[in-house]
Amino acid sequence: MEYTNEKQYWRGLEELHQEPKFVENAQKEFERDIPVDELLEQATSSALTSNRREFLKYLGFSIGAATLAACTSTPVKYALPYVVKPNEIIPGVANYYSTTFWDGLEYVAVRVKTREGRPIKIEGNPESPISLGGTSARSQASVLSLYDNNRLKNPLKDNKPAKWEDVDNAIKNALASSIGSIYLVTASTISPSTRNLFNQFADKFKAKIVTYDAISYSGILDANQKCFGKKSIPNYHFDKCEVIVGFNADFLGTWLSPTGNIRKYTDAKRLLDKKDMMLHIQFETNMTLTGANADKRIPMKPSQEGSALLALYNAIASQFGKPTLNGDGVKLAGNYIDVVASKLVATKGKSIVVAGSNDVNIQVLVNGINAMLGNYGSTIDMDNSLNYFQGIDSEFENFIADLESGKVKTVIFANVNPIYNYYNSSKLEGLLKNVETRVSFAPTNDETALLCNYVLPDNHYLESWSDARPSQDVAGLQQPTINKLFDTRQFQDTLLTWLEDKRTFYQYIKDFWKENFYSKEKGSFEDFWIQTLQSGYAELKKVESKSYEVKGDLLQSAASAINEIKSSGTELQLYVKIGLGDGSAANNPWLQELPDPITKVCWDNYVTIGKAFADKLGLKTDDVVNISAGSVKVKLPVWVQPGQTNETIGIALGYGRKSAGKAGNHVGMNAFPLVQLVNGTRQLHNHVTIEKTGEKYELAATQTHHTIMGRSEDILREYSHAQFTKLEKEKPVEYVTLWKNYDKNGHYWAMAIDLNACVGCGSCVVACQAENNVPVVGKKEILMRREMHWIRIDRYYSATGEGLNEQPEENPSVTFQPMMCQHCDNAPCENVCPVLAIAHSSEGLNQQVYNRCVGTRYCANNCPYKVRRFNWFDYTNHENFIYNPVDDLGRMVLNPDVVVRARGVMEKCSFCVQRLQAAKLAAKSAGTPMADGTATTACQTACPANAIIFGDLNDPNSKIAKYYHNERSYRVIEAVKTYPHISYMGKVRHQIDNPKV
Amino acid sequence: MVESPIREPLVTGKKSYAQVTDDVLRPIVTAPGKEWWIAFLISATVMMIGLACMTYTLFVGIGTWGLNKTVGWAFDITNFVFWVGIGHAGTLISAILLLFRQGWRQSINRAAEAMTIFAVICAAIFPGLHMGRPWLAFWVLPLPNTHGPLWVNFNSPLLWDVFAISTYFSVSLIFWYTGLIPDLGLVRDKVTNPIQKKIYNILSFGWTGSARAWHRFEITSLVLAGLATPLVLSVHTIVSFDFATSVIPGWHTTIFPPYFVAGAIFSGFGMVLTLMIITREVLNLKDYITDGHMDAMCKVVIATGSMVGLAYTTEFFIAWYSGSIYERFAFINRALGPYWWAYWAMFTCNVFSPQIMWIKSIRSNMKAVFVISLFVNVGMWFERYVIIVTSLHRDYLPSSWQMYYPTWTEWGIMIGVFGIFFTLFLLFTRLLPVIAIAEVKSIMKVTSDEAKEKLTQSHASGELNINVAHSPDNQKF
Repeated sequence: MEYTNEKQYWRGLEELHQEPKFVENAQKEFERDIPVDELLEQATSSALTSNRREFLKYLGFSIGAATLAACTSTPVKYALPYVVKPNEIIPGVANYYSTTFWDGLEYVAVRVKTREGRPIKIEGNPESPISLGGTSARSQASVLSLYDNNRLKNPLKDNKPAKWEDVDNAIKNALASSIGSIYLVTASTISPSTRNLFNQFADKFKAKIVTYDAISYSGILDANQKCFGKKSIPNYHFDKCEVIVGFNADFLGTWLSPTGNIRKYTDAKRLLDKKDMMLHIQFETNMTLTGANADKRIPMKPSQEGSALLALYNAIASQFGKPTLNGDGVKLAGNYIDVVASKLVATKGKSIVVAGSNDVNIQVLVNGINAMLGNYGSTIDMDNSLNYFQGIDSEFENFIADLESGKVKTVIFANVNPIYNYYNSSKLEGLLKNVETRVSFAPTNDETALLCNYVLPDNHYLESWSDARPSQDVAGLQQPTINKLFDTRQFQDTLLTWLEDKRTFYQYIKDFWKENFYSKEKGSFEDFWIQTLQSGYAELKKVESKSYEVKGDLLQSAASAINEIKSSGTELQLYVKIGLGDGSAANNPWLQELPDPITKVCWDNYVTIGKAFADKLGLKTDDVVNISAGSVKVKLPVWVQPGQTNETIGIALGYGRKSAGKAGNHVGMNAFPLVQLVNGTRQLHNHVTIEKTGEKYELAATQTHHTIMGRSEDILREYSHAQFTKLEKEKPVEYVTLWKNYDKNGHYWAMAIDLNACVGCGSCVVACQAENNVPVVGKKEILMRREMHWIRIDRYYSATGEGLNEQPEENPSVTFQPMMCQHCDNAPCENVCPVLAIAHSSEGLNQQVYNRCVGTRYCANNCPYKVRRFNWFDYTNHENFIYNPVDDLGRMVLNPDVVVRARGVMEKCSFCVQRLQAAKLAAKSAGTPMADGTATTACQTACPANAIIFGDLNDPNSKIAKYYHNERSYRVIEAVKTYPHISYMGKVRHQIDNPKV
Repeated sequence: MVESPIREPLVTGKKSYAQVTDDVLRPIVTAPGKEWWIAFLISATVMMIGLACMTYTLFVGIGTWGLNKTVGWAFDITNFVFWVGIGHAGTLISAILLLFRQGWRQSINRAAEAMTIFAVICAAIFPGLHMGRPWLAFWVLPLPNTHGPLWVNFNSPLLWDVFAISTYFSVSLIFWYTGLIPDLGLVRDKVTNPIQKKIYNILSFGWTGSARAWHRFEITSLVLAGLATPLVLSVHTIVSFDFATSVIPGWHTTIFPPYFVAGAIFSGFGMVLTLMIITREVLNLKDYITDGHMDAMCKVVIATGSMVGLAYTTEFFIAWYSGSIYERFAFINRALGPYWWAYWAMFTCNVFSPQIMWIKSIRSNMKAVFVISLFVNVGMWFERYVIIVTSLHRDYLPSSWQMYYPTWTEWGIMIGVFGIFFTLFLLFTRLLPVIAIAEVKSIMKVTSDEAKEKLTQSHASGELNINVAHSPDNQKF
């Protein structure tokens, strides 16, 4: 012991005393000896059977097993099991909840599919009397906006995160101090409870409610107020019509209630069980979806709209022998108005004339025509009117005036973004700065919210309670389908807090419903409530629809105002795209990538211009021009658009957002500044000058060839109505084949697409994208012609002459054709795959096996329909594809039943095989044979036109068996002998003889 | 004394056997000159560019190319078919011409076969690289696996390609290597560096040059030639099935097998001409690869070029005659559509340019022949481009008609593969004898300048040269 002066520690007295036994044991590692000898003895006495070979075997196995186990990289998962599982949630089984979609432009009654508590898909509510089971592209895409990482995650005060109590207190103080000078600016709301709440708020704080719609319907509202004393929009029953005449009203695309309109319109056109169909004539400036579907489309300048209607009024009046109005009007395209007038007179009471203009006088005239034709009470229901739009433009102008005079101390913006979509937003921006308290309920930090001191983010509609009253006779409910994702609060709850009302908005709605919509004969209120919640809507008392008259002097003064409208220079007609609408959903990549139904361009807006006019100005597609109206200048690329009225241009609104989010920022240019205020209403037309800049800007279109090259017999059959009535069912041709035919036992899935019903709106495209986890590829990849949509709508323009004319006509007729995998029985893709990655199922499906695919792309080359899509990149992880759900939040939208495809594999439409499997499973568990209509595809259920019939062809009683072969049926490029499972029914158009000039 | 003009000697310059050895082995035993190094560095650099582009493709995906939903193959398969086509001349020269006893093939077959091997290597890059998931490329092989009953699809022409190309490559390689063995023995004896000696000894399998070895060698060569002959016809036939069995107008054509074979031989000879004109010049081998050789190859090019031209026009006739609007349009679109320039580049290079060689003075002007051979190469590349891209880009549904534009990655890969080819070829010229020495020596007795002199003398003196009648290689063109 060297360190004797140091302290000593010992383990026991034995060590201290250095006892001999301790010293001996201290050298050993183990106290007791290892019984090696014993073991060896045992081994020799065969008690232990292991020998060298055994040992090596075990060693080999252990190392092998350990190595293999180490090879598997088990991903770390954060899924937590339920401690107590809610009864209604069964993992793997979807739940559906009825709710209401309203985005300020359109109402759709929807059913939300949730999986494990996550909303993943929007389906139409088939029972809804308003949207009639259809959906629109925007409602389909709305589920993606729920998982938008750009949403505000907590309230903001002066652009810094704040707490709800703090902002509530601050705003309450501000409200108390500014009583009488509070303005609540809101978009039209279809929620009666919310409106009631607004009124309550207005009463308590002496606040002014200003209703402001980005796309204003003020003209119709004012006109109906003038004519009938009702500030409401009638319900148009297009299904009851024999003749529809539209004037710049894109009622199939974006006007009023397109989803319901499409169903009603196509019902009047449907030729499945009848031979007659409605006649539709459209006068319009831009080529719209509605014009594209019309039997006859006549180009018209915006300034001619009123004048043409005046001519139509007079033509009808003179046929009826009624007094005509002053002025001649224009009889477009060689007295076309007269032809239309006689058709309308012949179908008196069974027609509708609609105009899209926001001009009060024009709408008065339209009312006059409809009243004269006796359409009120039969096809137009003024009494059970629609409640969509309440915005009166003068209200907002008054608000601006009040801002100017400094009357406004507190302003609250609910669901509005006027800094983006008000035509004079720079003025508004300047004025807003003088307002003391500025509050926004915007769910994201949008252009208006950026100027507010408080941003109190509203919930997404799938997280909120609300109600709806789309029309006077229907009320609906909106229920949350998921818990709040962020620290947001629905603005109605915020208002209730400020009103010191202790109720939640849920309770508030319930109370409101009990008071207003519930009646004793409906059973107990709870039952009524649960029933309504389940079905999504409740039918209220329907009033008898009456007929109306419009006073002559009203019409006369409208006519003289219309006679004042002058046409000069280049006229601009602004429009709204089906995808983006007014731009509030600009950050939704599904909508940005949805090709415009007409131009097929995604990710941009542009100047549409007719060929003749473009040639005159020396412009070509992709040339950048400056469009100026007064001091407003907008720089946009040109898109040469067949059908665009000569000397007019069209520009889409809803683009050019500056603060929408990563997908929506700086896509296109904002055209709202080109809106003009005329006679007190904001109108979507203007006089502009075009100036060529010499710059180029590439527009990304998914279809770059526009004519059918004389192949309509094989690809897209079109008949005149006269031809159709003479059509007879073709006998299916039996081809001789060297191949063994597949057995067709069990199910045999097939689809029939009625081209006469399909209007080309694109709901199916977004629905398919949502259902099948189809990636978004962005503009650059669209330019590379690589969009991933499994279903596309081909759009063809007619061309003069036969055959190889690649140049569409000046005013072409337009046809649409949904195109997806045809599931050929004799599939060219199947036999060329070297690795058998495409299998033919026993139910006739052509199945792409992603994990077997090595990506030779031979199948895509050999597909005559070109419906196969290749994963050029790893879309879900590649840094360039930020639009895809790459974060954990965005991934929540993915359908867990559909695999996310890897880089380098081919994919395509699967006929929604996961839905077919689910339906089969349901039938199997129920122990019943599969009923027709239980197996559906996403495109089929999304279709507002009911253009897609799907089912089991082997079931003789099925709808598909009935309509698969009819007189219009054909299969695309049948001569290639692919034996597709999809049959198309040809398009039928009324042929109207050109009037004598 | 009248001398038949067609009986030109195959080896000129009155060479002795030793001289032949020295001439041919000079590039191997001497250090490469500055020109070789410059050429090698350029080729290697280009090769590296290609490899970089391939690596980029492998890491990021096929999206780095200009392909799209409508045009799923373009530069990749164009280059594949182009290189497979180039590879045809080697085997044709060594196998078919061997069977037909064409003595003039002896001095060019080695280089042509080497070209074949390198071309097939270049071609083989593309089927692997063009796959979306190239790491699973082995799935196209019928390997026993644990995937249950999963097997390859024997209906797929791509699978036939796998067999055709791999067979062709292995047979060509063995054939070429077998031919090399006696020469490798010779190199071993010539080189002085012991390490080199060792390596060449191993490579020559310890060649002894005994009569028995020669006998075995001759028999093996003949058998391999017999095996390789059907491959010359089968490989491009099967490659053409990739297109011919599809349903795409412009691809679905029964004329494709002969058309592709003729085109392949055409392009192969084009490339052989290009390479030989340089090689004989740079390596000073004009005595072995004589003007007569060049002339013979030019004639093959004229013949096959005409066949190709006939095929082009036949296609047009059949397109019209078929009555199918899709077929008709596909061909109208080829000639007049957006890719008209590619079509007319092809037509000019392949059909018009070789016809100039009917004129003897042009055929014997090596500069002109060189330019024409380049035209043929370019034209045949465009032929594949035209077939693949213009057929695909506008097929049945006009809604899907799209254009294809290559990206820099594709250009990089395409140029890089030429880099690989020339790098390999340059290494070949310095490491292996570019002329089959043993074979050339075997014909010297009968077709060299000396033999010719002897022959004429013997004719003059009334003697009959027995050798001529009995030599297997006396059949001159």
